[in-house]
Amino acid sequence: MLAMRHISKVFRTDLIETHALRDFSLEVAEGDFVAVTGPSGSGKTTFLNVAGLLEGFDTGSYQLDGVDTSGLSDDARSRLRNEKIGFIFQSFNLIPDLDIFDNVDVPLRYRRMKAADRRERITSALDLVGLGSRAHHMPSQLSGGQQQRVAIARAIAGDPKFLLADEPTGNLDSLMARQVMDLLEQINEMGTTIVLVTHDPELARRAQRNVQIIDGQVSDYRPYEPHAPAAREPVPLAAGAGA
Amino acid sequence: MITQDIRPILSALLRNRTGAVLVALQVAIALAVLVNAVYVVKQRVDKIGRPTGMDIENIFMVTSAGFAADYDHAATTAADLSWLRSQPGVRAATLTSGLPLSGGGSQNTLYPTPEVKGEGTSMNYFDVDESGIDTLGVRLVAGRNFRADEILPEDPTYRKPVPGFIVTRTLAKALFGTEDAVGKVTYDGLGRPMTVIGVIDHMQGSWVDWDKIGQVGLLPRRAFGPRALYLVRTAPGQRDALIKSAEEHLSVSEPRRVLQYVRSLDYYRDRSYQADRNMAIFLVTVTALLGCVTALGIFALATFNVNLRTRQIGTRRAIGARKADIVRYFMVENWLVTTAGVLLGAALALGVGYSLSRAYQLPRLDLYYLVGGVVALWATGQVAAWQPSRRAAKISPSVATRTV
Ligand SMILES: Nc1ncnc2c1ncn2[C@@H]1O[C@H](COP(=O)(O)OP(=O)(O)OP(=O)(O)O)[C@@H](O)[C@H]1O
Ligand SMILES: [Mg+2]
Repeated sequence: MLAMRHISKVFRTDLIETHALRDFSLEVAEGDFVAVTGPSGSGKTTFLNVAGLLEGFDTGSYQLDGVDTSGLSDDARSRLRNEKIGFIFQSFNLIPDLDIFDNVDVPLRYRRMKAADRRERITSALDLVGLGSRAHHMPSQLSGGQQQRVAIARAIAGDPKFLLADEPTGNLDSLMARQVMDLLEQINEMGTTIVLVTHDPELARRAQRNVQIIDGQVSDYRPYEPHAPAAREPVPLAAGAGA
Repeated sequence: MITQDIRPILSALLRNRTGAVLVALQVAIALAVLVNAVYVVKQRVDKIGRPTGMDIENIFMVTSAGFAADYDHAATTAADLSWLRSQPGVRAATLTSGLPLSGGGSQNTLYPTPEVKGEGTSMNYFDVDESGIDTLGVRLVAGRNFRADEILPEDPTYRKPVPGFIVTRTLAKALFGTEDAVGKVTYDGLGRPMTVIGVIDHMQGSWVDWDKIGQVGLLPRRAFGPRALYLVRTAPGQRDALIKSAEEHLSVSEPRRVLQYVRSLDYYRDRSYQADRNMAIFLVTVTALLGCVTALGIFALATFNVNLRTRQIGTRRAIGARKADIVRYFMVENWLVTTAGVLLGAALALGVGYSLSRAYQLPRLDLYYLVGGVVALWATGQVAAWQPSRRAAKISPSVATRTV
């Protein structure tokens, strides 16, 4: 479980103070699929960065999977990020000098896993995203949608509890966006908790819960309602994108 | 653990190798120059530091030249020597024919038989009187010193044979091998016998670049005029004061000659080694500069790579790299570049060393220098890469989500 209580975060520059999060409280239960929406500059990325331990906060408390995150050392935060969290970025953030296999390998190496273990996880993660046959391609040889699927493979290879995605479909066309969304749903069904920031109301609607952030606060919180099966039209992974 | 990390670092490096190749080349050249320069410098320093066998710090020399028609060389030198010897702080003084380590002196060839055949043995000789050994501060290890009555009078034609003389151990060995030299006879260029009466431990002759600089002989002769060259040995610490007072006295004591130079013996030694010293200084300077330039190159490459990969570093941090992992990434990357350079440089250094040793008859490059140079460049690389690596580790993981 991910629990934020009365979090505030202020960015100070010479000229202005920006209250990116103010008295921000949110709980995400295990197995949830939460979509976060809100206007630009409202604090969505800040929330996700705090949730993913990429940034700290000023006041309040944040518990990640039972661990109180305030006062943790930088190494401990790195370790938590590595073990409990998978991150998916809008611009994929694959390492351009490494092939697909080695990209997925990066977080596993930081976990000091044995080579055979890593190989197994990389292969199954790449198979899950439908790119098993591309293991030794370079990122630049893949389409955007394929790159994002590699990034998803990288995020889930370490089997994290939480998957945090900041507009993962923002740089993709709608077909590829739907493929990525299908993949996330599939991963969620396998038990991973997902927090997805998106501008796309269509995609947001497919999540179990919607959270709207306005001006650094949760303004609208729609609790879980089973969504209509009609909303789901999975696009076959292996087709279309030419995987 | 480190070796496990190397493969992906290496493959990423190989995809962006231009800068790395240039820096590796720089490291290679630096190593080749460093190793050979240090080696040459070491040889020069050793050469300058060779023992002279003499009490070099406490000896000075005086030269004068008689010019007047009625200049009396014998009387003047006798007066000069007796004045010098009477000065407090003077331990001994002698008239001599040449100045050790000065680049000027006399050489003779000795032969094993009166027929004067074959190669002969070179001897750098100095005419001295019975105070010669004491003045030079050389150590008699066998036989005896000259007696005062053995000193031959001055004779510009060298017609008088020299019955007995003193040799250095080095010359004794060149003449007679390992046998005891005292009492042995050798022959000068005119086939006249010369008997060794004493052996001194060691003394360097006139020419610092001569490979037989230790083959020195002392001959019991009063050096002829009208030029006079005196060697004076003082008690420790008194030399400079005595140089001054000798100059004051001798420049006025005899109007029929001019006093030319009154200088310490180590002045001449230093002058003779000037070229060696300049070479050493030049090489040290060049090497230090090259070292700095190489360190700068490594630093620049690491800085460039860190700046280029800001987002990648943020991403690595976001997906679990600790700061130490980031530092290690860049240190290992740098180490790979330096190692490539060092391997190439080692081959280059051996090649350069080999051709230098062929061209200048230097001894072959000592492998210790290569090992030392490799270690030095590895260390330089790691030191130079440290700051950029630390800076990389400070990049925030939020860079991964904040940069588009
Ligand atoms: N490093 C920073 N320094 C100063 N202000 C910042 C910094 N990062 C974010 N902000 C400010 O904090 C506020 C929230 O930013 P945040 O990136 O969380 O918004 P967002 O909801 O993700 O917007 P978008 O939809 O455009 O991505 C904004 O006003 C932004 O300008
Ligand atoms: Mg954002």
